Amino acid sequence: MKMHSLKASLMTAAALVLMALNVQARAAVSAEQLVTPIAEYKLYVLDNLDQLVDHTRRFTTAVEQGELDRAQSLYAPTRVYYERIEPIAELFADLDASIDAREDDYEHGVADPDFTGFHRLEYGLFHNDSTDGMAPYAKGLMSDVNDLDSRVRDLTFPPSTVVGGAAALMEEVAATKVSGEEDRYSRTDLWDFQANVDGAREIFSLFKPLVAQQHPDFVARVTKNFGDVEKTLAQYRTTPDDPASGFVSYDEVSQADRHALAGTVTVLAEDLSTLRGMLGLD
Amino acid sequence: MSHRDRPSRCPFHVTANEEGTPPRRRFLRGLGLTGLGVGLAGLYPGRVLSAEPLQTPPQGKEVTSAPLARDPQLSWPFHGRHQQGVVTPRPATGMVVAFDVLAGDRDGLQRLFETLTARIAFLTQGGRYPQRDPHYPPPDSGILGPDIPPDGLTVTLALGDALFDQRFGLDAARPRHLQRMTGFPNDALEAERCHGDIALQFCANTLDTCYHALRDIIKHTPGLMLVRWKQEGTVPLLPPSPGDFDGSARNFLGFRDGSANPSNDDAALMDELVWVDGTGENEPAWAQGGSYMAVRIIRNFVERWDRTPLGEQEAIFGRRKMSGAPLSGGNEQDVPDYSDDPEGHITPLDAHIRLANPRTPATQHNRILRRPFNYSNGVEANGQFDMGLLFICFQADLDAGFITVQQRLNGEPLEEYIKPVGGGYFFVLPGAINQQDFLGRSLLNATA
Repeated sequence: MKMHSLKASLMTAAALVLMALNVQARAAVSAEQLVTPIAEYKLYVLDNLDQLVDHTRRFTTAVEQGELDRAQSLYAPTRVYYERIEPIAELFADLDASIDAREDDYEHGVADPDFTGFHRLEYGLFHNDSTDGMAPYAKGLMSDVNDLDSRVRDLTFPPSTVVGGAAALMEEVAATKVSGEEDRYSRTDLWDFQANVDGAREIFSLFKPLVAQQHPDFVARVTKNFGDVEKTLAQYRTTPDDPASGFVSYDEVSQADRHALAGTVTVLAEDLSTLRGMLGLD
Repeated sequence: MSHRDRPSRCPFHVTANEEGTPPRRRFLRGLGLTGLGVGLAGLYPGRVLSAEPLQTPPQGKEVTSAPLARDPQLSWPFHGRHQQGVVTPRPATGMVVAFDVLAGDRDGLQRLFETLTARIAFLTQGGRYPQRDPHYPPPDSGILGPDIPPDGLTVTLALGDALFDQRFGLDAARPRHLQRMTGFPNDALEAERCHGDIALQFCANTLDTCYHALRDIIKHTPGLMLVRWKQEGTVPLLPPSPGDFDGSARNFLGFRDGSANPSNDDAALMDELVWVDGTGENEPAWAQGGSYMAVRIIRNFVERWDRTPLGEQEAIFGRRKMSGAPLSGGNEQDVPDYSDDPEGHITPLDAHIRLANPRTPATQHNRILRRPFNYSNGVEANGQFDMGLLFICFQADLDAGFITVQQRLNGEPLEEYIKPVGGGYFFVLPGAINQQDFLGRSLLNATA
C-alpha cells in the first residue's frame, strides 16, 4: 500500500522530468517506456537501503558492545544490501571509499589512518579475532550508511547509470569476487558474489520487457547464464538449495567451479554491456 | 648520424586550474535535486553544471607525435645545460627505475653521481667496451653485441624528496616544490612501487637498449644504490604516411595520448613551462636548468573498458576515439574550443581533456609536458591484465603543474576505468655542462 503510492509519486516525477528534457531515445524504446522500470529500480534500491541501515545498526552495535561472535556472524549478511545496490552507492565516491574500500586502496594498507568501513572491521573481527579498537570504525560506518541513505533518497537516478548498473555489477564480480580478493579475512566472498548477481538480475528483469521482442536470443542467453551462476552458487550454501541460508567459505569453492563462474560471469558482463545500446542510452 | 639528420617532430600534452567544475561523481554527491523524484536529469549531467565563460583559446597546433622510425645510430648529445630525456622527442620505449641510495655519506653520494654521469655519457653515445681477459666476467651484459649503438638512448637522473633527509645534509637546498607523492582519492598506491631516493628514466628505440644501460649502471654502482621499483613501457611506432598529419600514439584505452601537448621544439615555451630557469620560480640557484618529473603507474581496466559503449568512452575523454579530434570539432591537432559550450553539451564539463586543461587564460600556467609510455606487466589474480599507462610529465613547478591538474581530475568519470598504483615525484638535475662537470655537482657544491 505504502509502496504503491510511493511508486506512483516516483513515476509522476519521472514523467515530468522526461517531458521537460525531451529525452531522445534512438532505439525502438521511447523515453517514456523507461519511466516505470527506473521507478521500480529506485524502489528496489530504497528497500535495500532500509535493510542496509537496519542491518548495519545491528552489526555495529554488536561490534561496539564487544560481541565478537555476533559481530562476525552479522558481517556478511549486512554487506549484502550494499553490494546489491553498488551501481548507485558508488556514485558517491567519498562514501564508497569510507564504507567499502579495501586495504589495497591505501599505500600503508591496514595501518593507513584513512582505511575505514566494512573491510577495516573485517580485518579486526576476522584477522585479529577481536573487537578491540573497532568501536570508532563501527560508529563511522553507521554514520556513513545513514549519510548514504539520505543522499540516495534525494538522488535523481540517471537511466544510463541504472541500466549500465547490470553490467557494472558483473564487472565487480569479475574484478574482485572471482579472485576471492573482496573478503580476504572473513572468506565470505560468496555472499557478495550472490548480492552482485541479485542486483544485476534485478536490473535485467526490469528492462527485459523492453528488449525481449527485438532481442529474444539475448534475453534467453542472459536468463540462462544468470541461472547457471546461481545454480553453482547454490551448491555452496550452508544448507544447499535453501536460498535463505548463508554461504561456506570461499576457500571451499573448487577450481572447476571458480572457472565455471568466471566464464559465465564474463559472458554476462559482455552481454549486459550491450543493454544500454539496445535501449538507445549513452 | 646526429639528431639533426632526423625529421623534426614534436613530442608531447597539456593541461591546466579552475575551481567549481564538479565532475560527475562529485556532482552526484552533493546533488539533492528532486526529493524522491526519479527523473532523467542525470542523463546529461553536464546540463545542470556551469563553468566560467571561456576566453579565446590559445593559437597553435599541439600534438605529441608518435615515434617515427628506429635508427640505431641516433644519438643525443649528453653535455648541456639541461639533461636529455625531457624535451627530447619521445622514442618507442621508456623505463623508469627508482633506487634507494645505500651510500652512507656525501663522498659516497658524490661517487654515485660521478659514476652515473660517466656511465650515461658513454652509454648514450655508444662505442666499444675495453677487451677483457676471458677469465674474468665480461664488461657488460653483451645483450647488444660488441658494438653498443646509441640507439636514441637517453638516461635522465632525478632525485626524490627522500634524498633530502638528514643523511647527506641536502635539506637546506631542497627544490621548493619537491615533496613526497601523496595518494589522490582514486589512487591505490602500492608502497613497493612508489617513491625512491633517486630515479633514472631510460628512453631508447628498443627496450633492449634500456635494459643494457640499466644492467651496465647496476654493475657499476654496487653498494651505492639498490633498485626499489622499475616500470617499462612502449609507444607504437607510426611510420609517416603522405598527406597525413603527425598523429599521437595511442594508449591502451585506444585513444591518442599526447594531443594538445605543448610543443617541445618551442624553446621559449619549454623555458616557461618545463625548465627551472630562475625567472620567478624562487628555486635555489643550483637547481637552474632542472625540472620536476611526476611519474605515475596508472593501471587501466582494459577488459571493462572494452565493454563500454563507444559514445561513453568518447564523452569520458572529450575526443573522438579513432581520429583523436576534440568533440568540439576539427582535427586532433586543433586546440579544443569550449567557448560556445559553457554548459558542456558538446564536450562534457567532466570530460578528461576539459578538466585537465579548461583552456582558460588562468590555467595556461598549469600546462605540463607529458611523455608517457604504455605498459603491460602480466596478469592479476582475477585473470585480468595489469596494463596501463606509465605516465611521465615534466614541469617547472610541480604544484602548479601535475598536482593542480590531477586535483582538477579528481572524481572524473574516467576513474571508473583507471587505478594509479605507483610512481613518485622527482627533481631532474640540471645537465652536466662539460666533461669536467658531473650530474649533481651544483647541488653538492651548494651544500658543501
